[in-house]
Amino acid sequence: MTSVARRPAPARHAETEAYPGQRQPTTPPRSGGSHGPRARTRAVPPQKESGRASARVVLAVIALGAVAVIALWWHSTPDVRGLGGWLTGAGEVLGLLAGYGVVVLVALMARLPPLERGIGTDQLARWHAMGGRYVVCVVWAHALLIVWGYAVEAHTSVTGETAALLTQYPDVLMATVGGFLLLGVGLISMRAARRRVRYETWYYLHLYTYLAIALAFSHQFADGVAFVNNLAARFWWSAMYLTVAVLIVWYRFVAPLRSFARHGFHVIGVRQEGPGIVSVYIGGSRLDELDAEPGQFFRWRFLTRSLWWSSHPYSLSAAPGKDLLRITVKDLGDHSQALARLQPGTRVIAEGPYGAFTATGSGRGVVLLAGGVGINPLRAMFATLPGPVTLIYRASSTRDVVFADELDAIAAARGATVHYVIGSRAELGGDPLSPRVLRSLAPGLDEQDVYVCGPDGMTSAAIEALRAAGVPKRRIHRESFEF
Amino acid sequence: MRRVILAVVGTVAGLVALLSFKSHLPTVPSAAVSTTGGTSGTSGTSGTPAPSSSPATVPGEYPMGSLAGQLPTGETAVTGHVATTVYGPVQIQLIMRSSKIVKVAVLRQPMNTIRDIQIGEFAFPKLIGETLTAQTAKIDAVSGASYTSAGYIQSLQSALDNGA
Repeated sequence: MTSVARRPAPARHAETEAYPGQRQPTTPPRSGGSHGPRARTRAVPPQKESGRASARVVLAVIALGAVAVIALWWHSTPDVRGLGGWLTGAGEVLGLLAGYGVVVLVALMARLPPLERGIGTDQLARWHAMGGRYVVCVVWAHALLIVWGYAVEAHTSVTGETAALLTQYPDVLMATVGGFLLLGVGLISMRAARRRVRYETWYYLHLYTYLAIALAFSHQFADGVAFVNNLAARFWWSAMYLTVAVLIVWYRFVAPLRSFARHGFHVIGVRQEGPGIVSVYIGGSRLDELDAEPGQFFRWRFLTRSLWWSSHPYSLSAAPGKDLLRITVKDLGDHSQALARLQPGTRVIAEGPYGAFTATGSGRGVVLLAGGVGINPLRAMFATLPGPVTLIYRASSTRDVVFADELDAIAAARGATVHYVIGSRAELGGDPLSPRVLRSLAPGLDEQDVYVCGPDGMTSAAIEALRAAGVPKRRIHRESFEF
Repeated sequence: MRRVILAVVGTVAGLVALLSFKSHLPTVPSAAVSTTGGTSGTSGTSGTPAPSSSPATVPGEYPMGSLAGQLPTGETAVTGHVATTVYGPVQIQLIMRSSKIVKVAVLRQPMNTIRDIQIGEFAFPKLIGETLTAQTAKIDAVSGASYTSAGYIQSLQSALDNGA
């Protein structure tokens, strides 16, 4: 038995900031089993299946779109001959795919509710990051192949053709500027992934992608063989760009303001839960209409002089009530310190709820597997999930364990089980989450739904172990804070 | 890393497959000759002898537009049919003196994109040079401009049928 079941001493703990995406995990109070003065526990209703996109369907739609784009090229190209023809043809295909790809990438981040609830913000962000790298490469491959191909076909030098493209072809110069912007954003994101760029820097530089896309738009119609003589293609291509632009404006700007007007979010109070841990209670009307579920999060924008300009994602740290929401924030930096000074009555724009990490309501038993900071959304679920629940809480030291008192109280109240698996691998003498250990901690594991939340490395390892322990993939639910 | 390799290999393989399908299509592009536009005209009445009519063709430069109104005596303009290519129409005009082609003007050429013009600037001087040498429509297409060449040859043939 490699697990150590014991009550860790509550202690303040350090935590690394996780971004891009920087969604900060929230920490519940360490006082007993209370959910706060007014937050209440309630049973989780079965997850609604309507309005949720499945990953497979979304990927299929994206792939179909790519096929349609290639069909457009096929339709507009009489044939391909010679080296120049091959290079130009490849450049044209890649150009069309890039023009389509940027729209897909932006749409993934448009905060569309079916995607947010069905696939989850973390998964969308992973797709976006992966696809982003690919599309930046495709953009540049397009540019280089076109230059080379045109040069071969026109029997000029590559430098001469580059100059001709930049100076004579309409809007190519603008598109080139856009291409450099995209490249810059890509490089910044790679650095951000290595935590060498501040989150805010990364975030605001990322907005240049919109400018890049706008700059590159017109050269597609002015120079693209697929569009020059094809009004229908121009129409549908524009419609695609316009649709996504409208969705972005709606879901990123209009919807939050409408929600603000309807629900009137405002700070009710702030409670110091412990050293460096603050709970913020946010009131509002008709909050049940939000259909928020434990495990989900909102993006919060507190309308004070110093905080209004940035929104931060924090998970709900208690089941949402009709007129009250609660977040609990660890002291990670300026923002969370400023939260401690929030005055009651401060208005709040809350964007959400987001996240696909919610109970499926399958009726099976549930195993919650938390790694370090990943305990936070699982805590809300631990208190509210119906049926038998087992919580396995992995932390590298007792210092890193939060709110053991509360977990124990919830466990006692509902007859659930908590296992603490504490210590480094060396101390525990082996893999602390091996299939064998998991099976012994949660008997009947392969018959249950498993929710895994923690740092990326931990969740990946845990999912591998769960699969090896015989849990079907579709019953493993994963949430990562890093997006 | 495996993903990167997969993405690169997949993209390249997809492109090669796609392009090779296209390059297996009929190898001789056909340009449809429309029935309109073929006229033959004679020179104007201007009696001033023009300087030797065909200036040397500067690469990238060739007569564009009809020369019918400004011909010296003894020269006739014969206009070919409009040949329709996938990139746009091609129509040429021959200037004949004593049954000899002395000059070729391009009346219509694909101009949808700058690239069409660029290809024209490259291809037409070559085609015109070949025409003046061969004095027939049996000339080679210019590589990289196969459609434009085909349209040129079609229009040239119809002009020769018309007026020569």
